[in-house]
Amino acid sequence: MTELGKADFGLTTFFAKSHPNDKCGANGLPLTPNSIKVLGRFQRLKAVSHPNLCNYLDVARGKHERLMVVAEHYRHCLRSTAKSGKYTNEELFIELAFGIVSGLAHLDRIGITHRNLSQSNILLDHQGKVKLSEYGMYYMTEDGTSVAFPIGNHKYLAPEALGLGPAVIEDHTDSDATLTVPCGPKTDVWSIGLILMEILSIPYKNGFRLFSADGRCKDLELPVFGENGYSKEYLESDHLSLRSMEEVYYLWRLAGGDLVGALKKEGLTKSKPPIHLLPYYSTNEGEVFGQTRDRAELLDSTVVILSQEQLRQRLSEIDETAYYPLLEDEQSQVTSSLPTSPSSNDLSETANLPLVIREKDIEYQFHRIILYERLLKGYPYTRGHIWKEARVDIPPLVRAHVWGALLEIEGDIYARYDEIDKETPTQTDRQIEVDIPRCHQYHELLSSPAAHGKFKRVLKAWVVSHPQYVYWQGLDSLCAPFLALNFNNEALAYSCLSAFIPKYLHKFFLKDNSAVIQGKLFRLQEYLPVFSHLITFHDPELGNHLDGIGFIPDLYAIPWFLTMYAHVFPLHKIVHLWDTLLLGNSSFPLCIGVAILSQLRSQLLSFGFNECILLFSDMPEIDIQRCVQDSIKIFCNTPKSATYRQHARPPKKAKKEESRPNISYYSRDYNEQPSSELSMEPIPVEELKTEKCPRISAEDLIELGELSGPSHTKSPTKRKQNSKPMLLVIDVRNQEDFAKGSIPNSINIPFPTAFSPEGDLNPCSAVTSLNLHKVQVKVVVGSRGRNATNFAIELVRLGYQKVCVLHKGIDVLRSTNILTVPPVDL
Amino acid sequence: MPLSVEKEFEFTFICKGVTSRLSVPVPIPLPQAVEDFAGRLIGCHNLPCYVEDDLKKKLDDFVTNETRNLYDENAEEALNKIRDGTTDIDSLVEKWTKAYTQEVKQYAKVEEASEETLFSEVYHNLIHSPALDTLLNLEHTYALTIEDLIDQRDKDLHHLEERQREEMEEAVRNVGKTYRDDEINLLAQRHFENSQLIGGKWSSELTNLKDTQKREFREWVVKVHEDTQSPTKSTSYLGRVRALSNALPEAEEEERSSQAPIMEESFTIHLGAQMKTTHNLRLLCTDALDLCRHKTHTVGGMVIPQPQRLQTAMSLYSNDLCALILMVDNRLNSYTGLKRAFAKVCEQSTDFHFPDLDQQFLIIEHELTLANDYRAQKKQSEDGDKVSIKSSSSSASLDALDKGSKLQTGDFYLTKHSNLSEVHAVFHLVTDDSIRSSDITSRHPVILSIRNIIKLCFRYDINTLTIPLLLSNEMTEEMTIQWCQKRVELMFKCVKGFMMEMATYGGHKSRNIQFLVPLGISEEMFSGISSMLTTIFRLSNPVVVKSATPHR
Repeated sequence: MTELGKADFGLTTFFAKSHPNDKCGANGLPLTPNSIKVLGRFQRLKAVSHPNLCNYLDVARGKHERLMVVAEHYRHCLRSTAKSGKYTNEELFIELAFGIVSGLAHLDRIGITHRNLSQSNILLDHQGKVKLSEYGMYYMTEDGTSVAFPIGNHKYLAPEALGLGPAVIEDHTDSDATLTVPCGPKTDVWSIGLILMEILSIPYKNGFRLFSADGRCKDLELPVFGENGYSKEYLESDHLSLRSMEEVYYLWRLAGGDLVGALKKEGLTKSKPPIHLLPYYSTNEGEVFGQTRDRAELLDSTVVILSQEQLRQRLSEIDETAYYPLLEDEQSQVTSSLPTSPSSNDLSETANLPLVIREKDIEYQFHRIILYERLLKGYPYTRGHIWKEARVDIPPLVRAHVWGALLEIEGDIYARYDEIDKETPTQTDRQIEVDIPRCHQYHELLSSPAAHGKFKRVLKAWVVSHPQYVYWQGLDSLCAPFLALNFNNEALAYSCLSAFIPKYLHKFFLKDNSAVIQGKLFRLQEYLPVFSHLITFHDPELGNHLDGIGFIPDLYAIPWFLTMYAHVFPLHKIVHLWDTLLLGNSSFPLCIGVAILSQLRSQLLSFGFNECILLFSDMPEIDIQRCVQDSIKIFCNTPKSATYRQHARPPKKAKKEESRPNISYYSRDYNEQPSSELSMEPIPVEELKTEKCPRISAEDLIELGELSGPSHTKSPTKRKQNSKPMLLVIDVRNQEDFAKGSIPNSINIPFPTAFSPEGDLNPCSAVTSLNLHKVQVKVVVGSRGRNATNFAIELVRLGYQKVCVLHKGIDVLRSTNILTVPPVDL
Repeated sequence: MPLSVEKEFEFTFICKGVTSRLSVPVPIPLPQAVEDFAGRLIGCHNLPCYVEDDLKKKLDDFVTNETRNLYDENAEEALNKIRDGTTDIDSLVEKWTKAYTQEVKQYAKVEEASEETLFSEVYHNLIHSPALDTLLNLEHTYALTIEDLIDQRDKDLHHLEERQREEMEEAVRNVGKTYRDDEINLLAQRHFENSQLIGGKWSSELTNLKDTQKREFREWVVKVHEDTQSPTKSTSYLGRVRALSNALPEAEEEERSSQAPIMEESFTIHLGAQMKTTHNLRLLCTDALDLCRHKTHTVGGMVIPQPQRLQTAMSLYSNDLCALILMVDNRLNSYTGLKRAFAKVCEQSTDFHFPDLDQQFLIIEHELTLANDYRAQKKQSEDGDKVSIKSSSSSASLDALDKGSKLQTGDFYLTKHSNLSEVHAVFHLVTDDSIRSSDITSRHPVILSIRNIIKLCFRYDINTLTIPLLLSNEMTEEMTIQWCQKRVELMFKCVKGFMMEMATYGGHKSRNIQFLVPLGISEEMFSGISSMLTTIFRLSNPVVVKSATPHR
C-alpha cells in the first residue's frame, strides 16, 4: 500500500487487437477477446510496488475492445525536466540514473520486462524522485501480441528487439511459423544507456529520500507530535494524501469519477460514426471486406490526468479526526462506529439505506473503509469487532480481507499454499478443465486466461490437500467469489475456500468407497427434508402446493446447496448474499432457500409441475437485497433445533469462545453447543422424510417459551419487552394426562377428538386460542406415538404456519420441574 | 528461436551422512513462482525441511540465470540473423515502419477530414437542432418531387408499352396482308430501340434530378450549419429555415395508405444463466419491404413525413443503427423478385448520404473480387489444419467458385441507406434452394451467416436487427406446419446461442431483434410461433399488477 502523497491519477487508453475472424482456441471454444486477456494479466501489475515505480490502479474495458488504464502519475517527466539543465549536476545525474536502475532492477526481479522506456514515461515526483510509468504495457499485452501497435519508442529500442521485428499481427493467412519472441530485461539496459546519453548531451537537485518502512503499528496509534518521524510539516499536510492510493482511487470513483467521461472530455473517444465503418462484403466464413479502419483505434499515448478536485471537495467537510477513528474506548464498548458528519446529517441514517445506495455513498464508504482498514490491521485481536461491523455491511474495497477474517483465516497461509503441489496431473484435471471455462464467464476478470490458470491451481490445491473429499461440479462455483476477490492472492483465496467448505458443506462430498454419488446424496438426503420442513414451517400454503404437485427440493435445490447459491446468481449478487451468509451458521443457507421461494411465491402457487421445472431450469431474476433481508427474518423466526442436521460439523475442540464476544445466540451453530438430554438427537432420514414439520428440542422450547424464568444464562435474541410469548404449546394428549401435569400456558386439544369428519378442527375454546395465535410458533406436544406428528400434519394441511413438534414428547420434560397442573378450565 | 526450453536443475544435499543428488528438468522461463515449484519438489521427492531454504535459493538462482541465458541466446540469434543477412534489413525496416505509421497516431499520416466525415458531423448536429423539422421537410419535399417524376416516367413507359403492344397486335393480325415477316421484325426492333431510348432518357433525367437534389441539399445543410455557427447571421439562418417551412406542398388527393403489420407481438427477455442481459424481441408478420417503404402520412391535407423517418434520420450517424436481412439469390443485381422491389423502394427518393444502389453494387463487386481472390488463395494454402469454424459445405462451395459463380451461399453484401423508412443498412444474404429443405442444421452456411451478421451488429452498434424467421421472403408450398415449426425452433435456438456468444464481445447492452414472418401465414401458426418463443427464450419476470377487475 503506497500512500497517495502528491500523486495524480493518470488515465491512458488503447485498443486491444480484435481477433481475426472466427479463430478458435485449442479447446474448440472461441478465443478470449484480447481485451479480456490484458485485463487478466494486468491484475498482477496492481500488486507491483516500488518507490521508483508508479503504481497501477485499475483497468477497465470500454466498447469495442477499448482498454483504459489508471495509474499513479506525475506531471513532470524527464523530457521536460532535463531541458532545464538540471542534470548537469553530476550528483543529481547519478541519482537519476540510480532511480531508473532501481526501478528496472525491481522489475527484473519480478520477471517483468519494461521495453517501453522513453524520456516521457520516466516521471519525476514533486521531490524529483524517479517514478517509472507505463512499464506494464509489454507485460500486460503479452509481449505486445495482444495489441496491433508496436510497444516501445523505436529510438530507444535495443538492436535485438528491432531485429526480432514487431510483434506478429496475425492477418488473413494463418502462419504459425513466425511466433513473437519475447525480449529479456537486458533490452532495457540498452534503453537506459541511450536515454542517459541523451540527458548528458543536454545541459541538471533533488533530495532523494530512501523509502522508509515503518512497522504497521504506526497506523494503529495516533502519531505523537514530533516523534516517530512525523514532523510538523507532515502533520499539517492533507490527510487524504496519507491514505493509500487504492483507497483514494476507490473514493475517487465514488465521487463521480468516470473514466470514459474523462477520455471524452479530452476528445480521445471521438470516433467515426459506425455507418461509415461498416464493411461491404462478407464471405460465408465471416471474412469481411471493404470496412474502414477507424483512426480512433490507433495508439494515442496521451495521459489524461484525472482531477481529484471533486473528491477533495466532497471530503473537505470531513473532520480531521475521522481519519484516525478510535477503536477502543475504556469507558464503554464502542457504541456506534459511525461518527456524525457535519456535512450530511447523521451517518447512521445512511446505514439504514439500502446496501446499493450505501455502497455508492462516498462519505459513508470513507468512514467504513478507514474503520475497517484499522480493524484489519489489528486482526486477529479485533475479530469480534470486525464481526460486529460486518453485520452492518462490508465495503467492496475491503471485502476480500474481511471475508478472510470472518472465516477465521490465520497462520502462514502463503507457506502452506506454496507447499501444495498444484501442477502434477491428477484424474480430476479433465473435469476441472471442462468446468472452468463455464464458470461465471460473463465476469471479465474470471474469463481471462490468467484467471483460468489461477482457478485451476486453487481447485487442484484444494482437491490435493483434501483427500477425504472428491471434486464435485460446483466446487468451481464456490471458488469463483473467493478468486475474484483475491485475484492477486491465490493463497488467501485457497484458504477461504478451505475454511468455507467445512463450515457450510461439511462432509457433503466425502469420498465414498462404494459410489461417489451415493456419498453425495447421503448428506443431501438429510439436508433436503430439513429444507422441506422449513418451507412448510414458514409457508404451509406453498409447502402444501409444492408437495401436492410433487415438486420436491431434490428437483431444484441441489445446485443451490452444493454451491451455496454461487451457481445460481451472478457474482455481484453472490457477494452480497455471502456477506450475510458468512455471518450465519450452517443452517442459514436453508433460510436463503426459503427466501428465494417466497419471492417467487405467487408464480409457484399458480404453476403446475412442468412450469415449476421450467422456471428453475434457468433461475429467474431475484432481488438479492430483499432475499438477504427475508432470510435473516426467516432465520430469526426459526427455532435453532428445527434445522438440526446430524451431519453438520461437530463442534471444534477448545473453541476460542472469547474471540467472538458479541455474537448473538443465533450465529453459533447448534452443533457447537454442549448437548444434554434435552437437546436434539439424530433422526433417521427415513423418519425425517415421512414428517412434514420440523422438530423442536426441549431445550429450545424452554428457552424460547421462557419457561425457566429469567435466570437462564443463554440470552436469546433481542426481543421487544412487550411482545407476546413466542410460543404456543398445543398439548394433544387426552384430557386426563393433560390435567395431571402439563407445560404452563399450554392449550389442550386431544388428538382423537380434534378433527371433524370433514377434516376441520372441531371448535372449542382451545381452538379459538389457537386461531388467535396465528403468528406464533406452535409446538405440538404429545407423548410417545405418532399422535403429535399426525396432528401437526393436519395443522399444516389446514394452513397453520410455524408448526413444529416437540422432540421426544412430553416425557422429556419430566426430569425438569416445569410441568405443572393446569388451572381448571372455566 | 525457442520460446521456452527445459534445463536440468541439479541439487545436492547431505542427509544422514549420505549425499543425495536431485536432478529435475525445469521449464525456462518458469511459468510459476519459484517457491511454488520448490514446494512441489519438496513434496514429490520428500526432501527434508532443512534443505528447503537452500533449495529455494539455488532454484531461484538457477532459474534467473537460465532465463537470462535464454533471452541472451535469442537476442544473439536475432542479431546474427541480421549480420549474416538471413533477416532482410529492408523488409525489417518496412515492417517497423508499417507498424508505427499504421498503428500509432503520433506517426500516422494525418488523415484529412473527408467530405463524408465532415458532412456526417454537420448533418448529425443539425438533425439534433431546431432545424430538424425543416431538414426533414426539405428531404420530404425532394422525395415528393422524385416520386412525381417516377410517376410520370411509369405512366409514360406504360403508355409507350401500350401503344407498342397495340401496334404489334395490329401488325401481327395483318401478317401477310399489309405486313411482311421481316417488317414485323423491323417493327419489333424499332419498338425495342424506342423504349430503350425513352427509358434511358427518363433514367438520365432521374439521375440528373437526384444529383441536383443531392448537391442542393448538401449545400443547404452546410450553409445552415455555418449560419448556426456564426451568431451574427442567425437571422439569415432563421430566415432560411423559415423560408422552407412555408414551402410545404399540398397533399395529394389519392389515398395511399399502407398496410400495417397484420400480427405482431413483443417480448422482453433475459439471456444468461447467472448474469442476465435484457433484450427485446418482436415477432411481426409483414412484408420485409414495409420496413423500407415510406408510408405517407396525411395530416390536415398536408403530406408530412412519417414519425419513423425522424427516428431513422436522427440515429443515422449515431451508435444506434437499425438493419434488415433480405434473402437474395446469388446474382448481384436488381432484376428480379424482391431484389427488384427493393431497388424500386430505394429509387423512390434521393439518398443524400450514400451512393445509389447501383453505385453501391459497383463497390460491392470490387470487394467481391477481393474476397474471391482471398478465397482462391486460401484454398491453395488450405492444409488439413482447420482451427477455424468453417461451414461444413465449404468444399462444395469452393467447387462452385471454380465454375465462376462468384457469390456463394452464406455470403452477404451490405448496402447503406438514408432514405428508407426504418433501416440504415441492409444485409443481402445469399441463399440457394437448399434452404427450402426441412432438415437444415445449425451448420448450414445461411445459419452461420446469421451468426456473422449478428457479430457485425455487435461490432458496429447495430442495435436493431430484423431477421426473416423462416429464412424466406414469402410463404411457399413446402412450408407445412411441421416445416415451419422445425425452422422456427432452429432459428430461435441459433439466434439465442449467437446472442449469448456475442455478449462477451459486445458488453451487456440490450438489443432488439425483430423476427419477420412472411405475409400469408395463418393466425394459428403465428400464435404457435409466439408460444414457442416463450419456451425457448426466458421472458423477464412479468410485473404482475393485481387488480380487482378480471381480464376482459
